[in-house]
Order: sequence, then C-alpha cells, then structure tokens
Amino acid sequence: MRRNSAFWLQCLLGLGLLALLLLVFRTTQANLELLGVQSGFDFLSRKAGFSIAQHLIPYSEDSPIRTALGVAILNTLLLAVFCIALASILGLLVGVGRLSSNWLVSRLSLAYLELFRNVPVLLQIFFWYYVALRALPSFQSSLFITDYLVLNNRGLYFPFIEFSGGLSISPPAMGRFSYEGGFYLMPEFLALWVGLSLYNASYISEIVRSGFESVPRGQLEAGAALGLRRRAVLRRVAFPQALRAILPPLATVYMNMFKATSLAAAIAYPEIVSVFVGTVNNLVGRPVEVMAVTLAFYAGVSFLVAWLMGRWNERVMRRGQ
Amino acid sequence: MAWLARNLFSSWMNSAVSVVLIGAMGWLAIKLFQWLILDAQWAGSGPGACADAQALCWPFVRARWPQFLYGLYPAEEVWRINLGLGIGLLLGVALAIARMPARRWIAALLFLAYPLLAGLLFRGGVAGLAPVETSLWGGFFLTLVVAGSVFWVSLAAGVLLALGRQSHLPLLRQACAVWIEFWRAVPVLVLLFVVIIMLPLFLPSNIEIDKLGRAMIAFAILMSTYLAEAVRGGLQSLPAGQYEAARALGLSWAQSRLHVVLPQALVVALPQITGNFIGLFKETTVLLVIGLFDLLGEVQRAASDPQWLGTGTTATGYLFVAAFFWMACFSLSRASARVERRMARYRAGMS
Repeated sequence: MRRNSAFWLQCLLGLGLLALLLLVFRTTQANLELLGVQSGFDFLSRKAGFSIAQHLIPYSEDSPIRTALGVAILNTLLLAVFCIALASILGLLVGVGRLSSNWLVSRLSLAYLELFRNVPVLLQIFFWYYVALRALPSFQSSLFITDYLVLNNRGLYFPFIEFSGGLSISPPAMGRFSYEGGFYLMPEFLALWVGLSLYNASYISEIVRSGFESVPRGQLEAGAALGLRRRAVLRRVAFPQALRAILPPLATVYMNMFKATSLAAAIAYPEIVSVFVGTVNNLVGRPVEVMAVTLAFYAGVSFLVAWLMGRWNERVMRRGQ
Repeated sequence: MAWLARNLFSSWMNSAVSVVLIGAMGWLAIKLFQWLILDAQWAGSGPGACADAQALCWPFVRARWPQFLYGLYPAEEVWRINLGLGIGLLLGVALAIARMPARRWIAALLFLAYPLLAGLLFRGGVAGLAPVETSLWGGFFLTLVVAGSVFWVSLAAGVLLALGRQSHLPLLRQACAVWIEFWRAVPVLVLLFVVIIMLPLFLPSNIEIDKLGRAMIAFAILMSTYLAEAVRGGLQSLPAGQYEAARALGLSWAQSRLHVVLPQALVVALPQITGNFIGLFKETTVLLVIGLFDLLGEVQRAASDPQWLGTGTTATGYLFVAAFFWMACFSLSRASARVERRMARYRAGMS
C-alpha cells in the first residue's frame, strides 16, 4: 500500500514537472514569436564587428562571433588561474602566519583576515580600479619595478617568450604612445586579479589554519622526537595531514573564485559575461541562446573542477593508509 | 618585559621579523593618520569645500546622506521607510529577549505578517499612501530590503529543498539534487542577467514583474540552494534514533519534521546559515551592475556627479561604504560565533 502510494505520488510529480516545463516552453515560444525574435545558433558564425582589448588568440573585428566567444572564455580562464594562484599563496602565508609563535605576525594575520573578509569583494575591486590604479603614474613617468617589469596607469607590462624565427624573450619597449612588445595586463585585469585574490585569500587562510590545527599535537611531537627539524616536521608530517582537511573546502573557494570572475562585467574586463551576455546579446538579440551558452560554460567548468578536485582529494586520502 | 621576550623576541629570526613589522606598521600608521585625519576635509559644505582631489571629502558624505540612506525615495514619504524598518527592529529586539511573553506570537508576527505589511508600506498604493515605484528605491534601504526579503523566502525554500533532497521518493530526491547542484555552479551576476532577461519570456505577457522583483527572484534561487546545503548538513548530523523515535511516537511525516527534526537541524546549521546571510548581505552590491542602486550603487552614482568633479569623492565614498559593511559583517560574525560557543557548551552539558 505504501509502495503503491509512493509510486503514484512520483507519477504525479513527474507529470507536474513535465507540464510546467511544457508550459514554460510554449509561453517562451509564443513570446519570442510576438517579439519577432529568431532562434538558432547560426549567429555564432556571423562577423563580430567589435574589438576586444585583450585577446590571447588572434582576433579582429572581422572574426566570427565564435572566435569572440573563444577569446572571452580564454580571458575568463586566464583571470581565474591568476586569481587562484595568487590567492593560494597569500592564503597559505596568512594562514600559517596565524599559527606563528610571533605575537605580532599572528595578530597581523588575523587583522588581514577580518579586514578583507568583511568588505564586499565588488567594493574592493572598485577600490583597486577607481582609486588605487588611477593613482599610478601615467605612461610618461612609468614605474620600473625592474628593467623588465613596467607599471603605469594603463597596466602592467612584462617580458614574454616570442616565437619569431626561434625562441626569444622580448622585454617591453617604450613606443610612442605606449609600451610595445612583451606581454601586457590591462588595468581591469589587475584590479580584478588583486581584488579577488586578496578577498579570497582571507577565506583560504582560515581553511589553512583550521587544517593545520586539525593535525593532532602528538604527530608534531612524534616528528620532533624522531629528530626531524621544525621545517621538516611541518613539511613532511603536518602538511600532508593538514591537506586532507584543507582540500574539500579549498575546492569550494576555488569554485567561488571562478564564479566571481563574472564581476568583471562591472568594470568591463572582456570575459564571457561582459562580451557574450553584454555585447553579443545586444548585437544579435538572441537571449535564449546566449544565456544557454553562458550557463553551459559555467556549469561545465564547475563540474570539471569539482571532478578534478574530487580526484585529487581521493589521492590525498588514499596516501598513507 | 617577559611577555615581550616570549612573544616577540624569542629568537634572532623572530626578533628581526618583529622589528621589521613594527617599523612597517609605524610608517603605515603615520601615513594612514595623515590621510584619514590630517589631510581630510572635514568642515564646510558643497563641492567648493574640497579643492584637493587627493584628500578625503567628508562634506560630500554629509551632503548626500539622505541619498545613501534612501536612494531617490521621495523625501516627504521617507517616514514610511523609517516606520517600517522601526517596526521590524522593534519586533526583532522583542524576539531576541529570552523572557519575553508570547514569543511565539511575536515570531509569527515578524515572519508572517510583517514582511507583507512592510512591503505595502514601502510600495504604497493602498490606504491613501502614494505609490512609490521600486526604481526610486535605493541606498541602505534597498540593501536591507533585498537582503531581508531574500533571506526570508530562501530559508523557507531552502528547508523544503533540503527535505526534498532527503525524501524517500527517488524522483523528488533527484529533481531537488539536480536543481541545487546546477544553480550552485552559476555566478550570482549571471543568474541576475538570466532572470532579468529571460523571466519575461517565460511568463505569459500579462504578468509583469519589475526589475527589483526579478533581481530578488534571482538572489532567492541562489540563496535557497546555499541554505538547502546548510540545512542538509544539519539534517545529516542528527542520529537516526531521532527519526525512529519520532515515528515510534506515532508522529506523522510533517509532525516529526516540524517538532523533532527541523528544530535540531536548524540549530546545527545556524553558523553556516549566518555565514550565508553575511555573504548575501555583501553580495547585494552586485545589484549596481544591473542598474539597481544599493548602498554602493548610490555612492558610485553620487561620486560621479559632475558637480563634485575634481574632489576626492570616490575614495571617501568607498571608505564610507567599506566601514559600514565591515562593521555590519564583523558584528554579525562575532554574534554568530558567540551563539555557536554557547550551543557547544549547551550540548556538552546535555550529553
């Protein structure tokens, strides 16, 4: 009897969901027809006709929208990778700093955590973009961090490997109006990179701290008793065990950081939201297709990262058992 | 002295680090004092008072104070906001007092009647109140309205989703799991665009929801999935005996969830729920990207006013917003940590 009622309940639920989906589909179709919107993905091979300030692959206004999408996706991933790298390093430093025996270091690490965690990340990005970067010197009086690293209010220039008839490293050289050669990061990128990294490093530092604190004291004492130096104890005994507690929440922060790259749309760094949802959607007027592609991209990367972090986690958990 | 020796100068390495840090902090403190206090423009009014574009300009914050609080809400109707928020604050305080009589009724009033009442009061159009369009809402008021109402809806939806994910009906369980996992992968800004652009297409053309309503729906979709995960953690932490005992007492499904399972699960999930609320509160700043002006949006809008061109309005405004959010989020997280400690003691005392 109970089984039976569960079966019918599910049938009802399934039918209800199906009916809802069908209804939404029909209404959308009717609405699109009413608005005279066409459908289909053929717009992807249309000529883009707009320029993108930063492209990792060859792109011009004559390229198809497909290529623009590729450029936007690469820009998103570039920003995400840079952020994950910087936030991880900072987070590790601050997290270990919290555990330092030096009172000043641990208090400063705590101050860092509380300062950056409790201010909205968009505000931090705005601060870097509209206040800090604007205060940098102009092109004529650029800051030279070294001969090869040039910073001014148009961005950060650094040398890059070039493949013009053999490998060579090309340093940024002063042109007439800007630096040429080498590689260049635009101010929007810098603001997002610094803002997202500093904000998320505060979360990572908490994860690192509680990870290390989860290692039983006996383990450290045993390491010391075996005659290992303090650094060796940390690296060989504490770190591998802390990693088990660190990885699952770290995966969540990495995912959040990847998702937060979409804030780029607020200061017009050309990643997928500002290029595709913004520019392309205005150009071709195919909201359903544009949104579907964007959602598919985020969902796809999320599931890929979740899967990869899951695999890594499995390996860490297996080790030493 | 002993404290210094132990905590700052225990070894050569430590001493060196301490000295460098003390030097750096001293330098930073002097610079900050100069920027925040000495160089800042405190007195005066109007753009003329702030000639130096590098200096902080507090007359700007004073001049735009009503805009930061209420957005473009008509000045003669602002009493409605104050009244509405005041009632909410009063009910909240009354609820927080442990010995208050009839707390159950206050809770019902706060969570069931108050949101509707406040909504009517703010929107107007009834009982002789002039209607105020939501496009005029802004500032701190908008931040509170969005955070409050989204949290209110999402907590209910999140509990239902979490229960659905635990259901013995495979189809319901799967449907909830897919819904939660999919939206968890999507950034809030993308979902805002999706709902704002797509929702009118999904709905019959005679139903219209304004931009604020759509933005709240987008936030609620995300927030309810986060809260569902938090509540699920609480549900999973309950020993199976609790479920079995409820059934043995002859409680129905709904009774056992309402009286046995949820009260315990929500307490366990409380720290995470507070964390999610703080996240939501900070995330309301994203509204400015879609053209709704929360506190940060109003500051941004005011700072780009050509009248105030060439004054330090942007930095001042950001500092003001940062200080506001910092104090709100910091005290919320401190309060949550205190409740958590008390709960831990309580539970340790029970077993």
